[in-house]
Amino acid sequence: MSFILGTTMLAIVTALACALPGAFVVLRRNSMLVEGIAHAVLPGIVVGYALTHDLNSPWLIVGAALAGLIVVLCNEWLIRTGLLAGDAPQGLVFPALFAAGVILITLDFTHVHLHTYVVLVGDLNLAAFRQLTVNGVSIGPRYLYIMLAVLMTNIAFIALFYPQLKLTTFDSEFANVLGLRAGLLNTAFMFLVSVTVVAAFHAAGALLVISLLVVPGATAHLISQRLSSMLALTAVFAVIGAIAGFWIAYLLNAATSAGMALFYGAMFVAVAVIDRLAIRARRHRRTQAASRERLARLPRKTDSERTLEPETQASPLHE
Amino acid sequence: MELIEFFGNHTFRMVFLGTTLIGCVAGALGSFAYLRKQSLISDVVAHSALPGALMAFLIAVLVLDASGRNMLGLIVGAVTTGTLAALFANSISARTKIPIDTAMAISLTVFFGAGMILLRIIANGPFPGKGGINDYLFGNASVITIADLTTSAAVGALALILMLVFWKEFTLRTFDPVLSTVLGFRARVIDTLMFTTIVIAIVIGVKAVGVVLMIAFVVTPPAAARQWTSTLPGMVALSGVIGGVGSGVGAYLSIAIGSVPTGPVIVLTLFVIFLISLLASPRRSIITTALRHARARDALRRELLSDLSDR
Repeated sequence: MSFILGTTMLAIVTALACALPGAFVVLRRNSMLVEGIAHAVLPGIVVGYALTHDLNSPWLIVGAALAGLIVVLCNEWLIRTGLLAGDAPQGLVFPALFAAGVILITLDFTHVHLHTYVVLVGDLNLAAFRQLTVNGVSIGPRYLYIMLAVLMTNIAFIALFYPQLKLTTFDSEFANVLGLRAGLLNTAFMFLVSVTVVAAFHAAGALLVISLLVVPGATAHLISQRLSSMLALTAVFAVIGAIAGFWIAYLLNAATSAGMALFYGAMFVAVAVIDRLAIRARRHRRTQAASRERLARLPRKTDSERTLEPETQASPLHE
Repeated sequence: MELIEFFGNHTFRMVFLGTTLIGCVAGALGSFAYLRKQSLISDVVAHSALPGALMAFLIAVLVLDASGRNMLGLIVGAVTTGTLAALFANSISARTKIPIDTAMAISLTVFFGAGMILLRIIANGPFPGKGGINDYLFGNASVITIADLTTSAAVGALALILMLVFWKEFTLRTFDPVLSTVLGFRARVIDTLMFTTIVIAIVIGVKAVGVVLMIAFVVTPPAAARQWTSTLPGMVALSGVIGGVGSGVGAYLSIAIGSVPTGPVIVLTLFVIFLISLLASPRRSIITTALRHARARDALRRELLSDLSDR
């Protein structure tokens, strides 16, 4: 597999792996919590690297994901204490964890040579650098297969728990009445999101992975009425954004995730504007049709009919 | 390190004064963001200040032929994009069915992504004075000059004066928005003013603390102060003091330990202050509440036992 094809494939798989759970993140209103998770995994990654010396190790991915879970659990705990107002609990824990990660990197006792720029936005080309060869034939970047595994896990989780996820997302009270373990499911889901964030860290960094997670789902949410169609659209937007963003970044010689974040944002705005224009056009057509109908009806009426009919009924404007 | 040695050094003194100032202003003004339950919008503003700061650098270097690190230019650029990002997030949530937290995430990533691309363009281009431009991400307190300090102090003081002048309006709008509208205060004008002061508090920290961690300066001190007081003047004052003291202590620690960045150490210091407040403040905290519950249980038990023995 050629390097550029392998890297594009990696961008697409990473985008898909993030976007599918991201659709649920949007619906469950957890976007800023995931932003916190993305920051908080940094110390997990540094410590994990010190222990495993392999940024692609599955142990590192799971271990660092636990650091992301700390944000989720602390957030729930802080809300339960009832001592804090509004969305402050979400903003308290992750900066501290991220700061700890930055200090660990600069102290360099773990000998992790992570550049701050890479920490924030990742480097897809670097991630795709190590190729996997079978019988002397390159079959793409090694990292591609790790992301594929994460993508498969995400798809499997969503497929297995689809009814439960749907119910807890849209009607959590009813889910509680039915005796669903909503809290447990939420923790499991957030752990999966956390694993995805760590796995995508290489490619997208701590700050822009949130774009990969949230924006395709939000774009799909704008124009879909059903969860199934929303998930399908999310996948489509993710793939389009991955390819376009990859090339934008390539042309501008910038980080892939930055190009993807910009393109995703532009795609979101375009879909939102088109959707609004379409709604306005539909409404306009409807009022036009109504007034035409009214005009067509008026001359046929005789004076006797008009006096018999109440005024309000005759006017379609009141419909 | 001895305190005399610490304050005898010009750079250390600048670091200490600069970060204390930032902590003070951000802590005091963050109280209103906290009480209006909009703490996270400050994360959006802080991240989105990056493209503005870089744009100001480019304009200063290419058009004005001046130094790209002018503090006033940085503040103007950062306020512009930070405000735009917040408006963008609000308009997404007002005009579409996207909830506000996702709208904030979208706005934040778009602006920050643009900032990262600008950063790469500057790093690859032949611009004078571009060395250390990466510092806008995590901040570098040791490059604060006296001119920076006076500009930050003047702009921060302006924000604080705005807060004091419109104190009554801010308070009313925060605690009883309906009454404030009924009394004839323009909600839009007050919101804009209040938001402007918060944005100013955020952007004066960009150079020393960086855009990524600035949220901690706005969110943590009010959350800690809230546990000790239940009046608004008390909370704003205490929050400012906690922000200032936490920043000063953090700056001292980072220099005393050596070779650790100032911003993250301050963030950890503030977090420790917050934890102590949450666990052990005398009026409302986890330990106080637990003790009160234990005492109430004890009293109930004694009462029941005495009832039994009376019979």
